[in-house]
Amino acid sequence: MSRTVLERLERLPKRDLTVLALKGIGTLVPGGWHNITSADALIADVMGSSDPELIRQVRARADLLSGARHEGYGRAMSLYDAVNRSQHATGGLRLLSNVGAGIPLLKRMAKLTPASETLQAVDLSLKVGAELLAFTQVNGLPGDSFGDFSASLADYAGDARVRMAALICFDALLPLGDQALHKLDGLLGKASAGDLRRLPSYGLMAGMIPGHGDGAHLNFLRRGVESWAGWAGGLISTLGLTGQKAVRALEGSLGPWAGGMQGLGTFLDAFTDTYSHTGVQAVARRLVERAAAEI
Amino acid sequence: MSRALRWGLAAMLALGLLVGALVVLPFSSWLPGGTVADVPTAEVVNGSAFNRLFPAPEAGQELVFTQEKRGFSEAKLKQGSAALALLAISDTATAPEARDKFGGSGSAIQGWPLVEQGGQASALLVADRFQVKVIGQGDGLDPDQRHALLEAFDLKGLSALLPPTTARGRKALPAGQQQPVRLPVVTPQTLEEPAA
Repeated sequence: MSRTVLERLERLPKRDLTVLALKGIGTLVPGGWHNITSADALIADVMGSSDPELIRQVRARADLLSGARHEGYGRAMSLYDAVNRSQHATGGLRLLSNVGAGIPLLKRMAKLTPASETLQAVDLSLKVGAELLAFTQVNGLPGDSFGDFSASLADYAGDARVRMAALICFDALLPLGDQALHKLDGLLGKASAGDLRRLPSYGLMAGMIPGHGDGAHLNFLRRGVESWAGWAGGLISTLGLTGQKAVRALEGSLGPWAGGMQGLGTFLDAFTDTYSHTGVQAVARRLVERAAAEI
Repeated sequence: MSRALRWGLAAMLALGLLVGALVVLPFSSWLPGGTVADVPTAEVVNGSAFNRLFPAPEAGQELVFTQEKRGFSEAKLKQGSAALALLAISDTATAPEARDKFGGSGSAIQGWPLVEQGGQASALLVADRFQVKVIGQGDGLDPDQRHALLEAFDLKGLSALLPPTTARGRKALPAGQQQPVRLPVVTPQTLEEPAA
């Protein structure tokens, strides 16, 4: 039996590299970032009451909901896990190619690792696609019109501004530079089905992406990124995000970094779980909001 | 063993598995844990039916729908970027125990029982089936504001939402909720007075 969403929330690390990296990005976003790992505190916050009996009821309801297969909470969790595994794998590959370039015997291997920028763009598009799919799994299709739906999506992203800022910084600005969003569409246009299949998370997500075949999936991801880039561009300009700013913010929490921007992005990809960490927190909040209304 | 025999055995095995899977397929919904509280989805009112019953936001406020699932719809009432309250309608078919708390209700809105849950949540049970709830967020709302919001829902429209069980005729209800089955036994009495 897999763990419920709230159990996973309580097992999230309280202090590690992931938390420090998110704290660093949190300094760029007004309101900062709080590492919520207590289910009871989350329930008390949503209900506006710390009555232990009410908290127990909400928790029991939330566990029942997250255990029901048709409700999609479990599927959202496995999407995040898939993306996380893929992130580690690509991060590891790029790390290997960086290290390998310095060692003669490994130079051949370094040449075998895929073209970094295209792969990074595809990786980002998979993350954005996973975000869209997880949103519909967790929240359904709220409202009666497309306008309602996009307002709902914007509200969800607003709830998780640090999550989105982290995605923008770690997966767009650091590896692709400050013009990342303008470059994205061109890079994705160059991406082939082979690039897509090289990412482990694609295999796990393919069944959930609408359309048949790699071409249709790539098209879906491209359109997803297109709509996300509009919103992300707005966040970048309101917060004034740049790669340099992200590096400085991260240095504030992680300590000094001597390598380049790309190196930092690679390092964070390989050794942190920011995407699934904040994902579990976002899903847990929505789940508790529902359970609180249903008890 | 000859090559043809091996292939034949393999083909038979594959065919057997396929047929077995097809036979078992219709029973997949019987496996536990598919739906909330194992209630068939057809017996739960879909959340999209609730959306039009939410109150219209006042000037300067905004209503953003946040979740819609079978038997559940939730919206956030916002002023600027701050959330004022969570508004939700849920079908208690998947959570019958939620109805129990209304037994001790002392007050009512439009005739439906009202209860408070903690300091920020007010709940109303409409037609003994649908729960309407307002939960104050952030700085919170006082009880009068929450009750005004509850009253602003289209409660009449909500009570008119017929559960699909009655629309689709007799269905298997969970144990303890079944109604006695009336068999159409033809006797001289039933022929004489058909509308018994």
